[in-house]
Amino acid sequence: MSSYVARKANAEPRWVRLSLTGIGLGFLFFFLALPLVAVFAEAFSGGWGAYLEALQHPEALSAIALTVLIAVVVLPFNIAFGVAAAWAIARFDFRGKSLLITLIDLPFAVSPVVVGLVSLLIFGAQGVFGPWLAAHGIKIVFALPGMILVTLFITFPFVARELIPLMQAQGRDEEEAAVSLGASGWQMFFRVTLPNIKWGLLYGVILANARAMGEFGAVSVVSGHIRGETNTLPLYVEIIYNEYNAIGAFGAASVLALLALVTLVAKTLVEWRMRQETEMLEAGLPPEKTS
Amino acid sequence: MSIEIQNIGKRFGNFVALDNINLTIPTGELVALLGPSGCGKTTLLRIIAGMESADEGVVKFGGEEATHLHARDRQVGFVFQHYALFRHMSVFENVAFGLRVKPKHERPSEAEIRRRVLDLLKLVQLDWLADRYPSQLSGGQRQRIALARALAVEPKVLLLDEPFGALDTKVRKELRRWLRRLHDEMHISSVFVTHDQEEALEVADRVVVMNHGKVEQIGTPDEVYSNPASPFVYQFLGNVNVFHSRVHGAWANVGADSAEGVPPKGKEALAFVRPHDIDIEHTPVAGGIEATVQDVHAIGPMVRVELAHASELIEVELTRERANVLQLAKGQCVWLKPRQVKVFSVPEVPLEEGGSGI
Repeated sequence: MSSYVARKANAEPRWVRLSLTGIGLGFLFFFLALPLVAVFAEAFSGGWGAYLEALQHPEALSAIALTVLIAVVVLPFNIAFGVAAAWAIARFDFRGKSLLITLIDLPFAVSPVVVGLVSLLIFGAQGVFGPWLAAHGIKIVFALPGMILVTLFITFPFVARELIPLMQAQGRDEEEAAVSLGASGWQMFFRVTLPNIKWGLLYGVILANARAMGEFGAVSVVSGHIRGETNTLPLYVEIIYNEYNAIGAFGAASVLALLALVTLVAKTLVEWRMRQETEMLEAGLPPEKTS
Repeated sequence: MSIEIQNIGKRFGNFVALDNINLTIPTGELVALLGPSGCGKTTLLRIIAGMESADEGVVKFGGEEATHLHARDRQVGFVFQHYALFRHMSVFENVAFGLRVKPKHERPSEAEIRRRVLDLLKLVQLDWLADRYPSQLSGGQRQRIALARALAVEPKVLLLDEPFGALDTKVRKELRRWLRRLHDEMHISSVFVTHDQEEALEVADRVVVMNHGKVEQIGTPDEVYSNPASPFVYQFLGNVNVFHSRVHGAWANVGADSAEGVPPKGKEALAFVRPHDIDIEHTPVAGGIEATVQDVHAIGPMVRVELAHASELIEVELTRERANVLQLAKGQCVWLKPRQVKVFSVPEVPLEEGGSGI
């Protein structure tokens, strides 16, 4: 169909549309495509062999392993907390509900560096629980537990924020129907609630995962940068870049970039599925009331 | 199984949703809870189902205390206004749900589940839809599936929350006759909530009229319609003309009061006359009042006449035959004579616009 046929009476003039689209595409090119290309170009500047070698460096491998470990530990907690919080907020009315909603958003509002510093204040050697923890031989700050704690805090909102509007839109009727048919709480959750929210949940998990693996600021403060022990990928990239090891730094960065691309694809797929489900949900809505 | 409701009260913050409700529903009866939105009828239904807890009072099923019994243990079938079918399950699985979640030792075999679900789908005449998903069904079909699902666990009590509220008029009429037949076949007690007086009067054995969290009247459809216990019931069930008056002799003074400025005697009262309980005559009649014809509308099988008496508007409904005999024209002066008048003393709370039309 030629454009003048399709053009609607309320459409903007052609030059406006073209220049707006141009600005959008240009922005995408300079700030997304170009850096991505630069990362991979730099990583492969020494050739395929040098790239693989850089990634197989023990410190690089330990950074990748630590990053994955943190994500694997954090995500189940995120799912459990997120679903519980969303369920409480969407299904029940209670005192302090709006406060809870605000608190869930807190990690978005606070700078990650502040989160790291607060952890130091609480669990550090000079912190509130520092002496007690030291006396019992528990090490949180400058060790894995501290890094997991701050990552958990930073990624907490993703799942809950994704699920709250979804569960509010779906309402309580189906769950009440399940209970009136004799289902126990767990039967209701696994047979009715979970199937209805699974795509929203997956979407939240993907976003939380991307953030957990890419988090820099908060993790940086509590990690202590012990090489081969408490360096995650983003921290590792910074350290070896500062040592003028460009191939190593960009090689590690390319792994993160790859992760970002995988996340984008997965996110798009899930969004597509969610849209289908939403259409099903909307088709499931009753027709207009006639009375 | 009979249901007894004793002194049930429920508040939401400062709002009194239910105020000292007493109600007994004998086994096998189909009862309608009728009232305007916000009158507490749905809250009462949800309390019977165990989905809401009452602040005070007792619910008994078959004489046994059930006030604190969990919803899942009440053996109650619940049908929602918006169906609440499980959208990710096929029609078959929706109906089978109640059987599949039973504890292992009570759960029927797969073959038995299959047989019972198909029987239920035949009962609601939708066995050909077993493999569809709820989103592929029409509203009427969905509500019948929801009913089949509720019946699958063989409930002793069936509760329906505005079951036909989201359906269009034609489907609604079909479904409520079908519900009545189904209820008679199943021999269970059913309670349904509605704000549609026609629906309540047509389907129910007994109608419970509610307003502001209180029961206004309990009676057969004929009782509540022809012998309303309160001004609210009168107004809510059908159209009505209200005459403010100082009464000592009903209708005659309704006219006399404003026309002649007689000093008031006795106490203030309201007179209610249904539009079809007024006759129009061309000549003065004893006990009649004079009025001017404002408008004449022919609506379906009847003719609605609007008349002005002093500054008040009066509605009269005539049969077509009677209207043809009278040959009314705008501006004509006629005499009105009521066949039946009901007088109530003026209520403390002003009456709202009641009645959803004939």
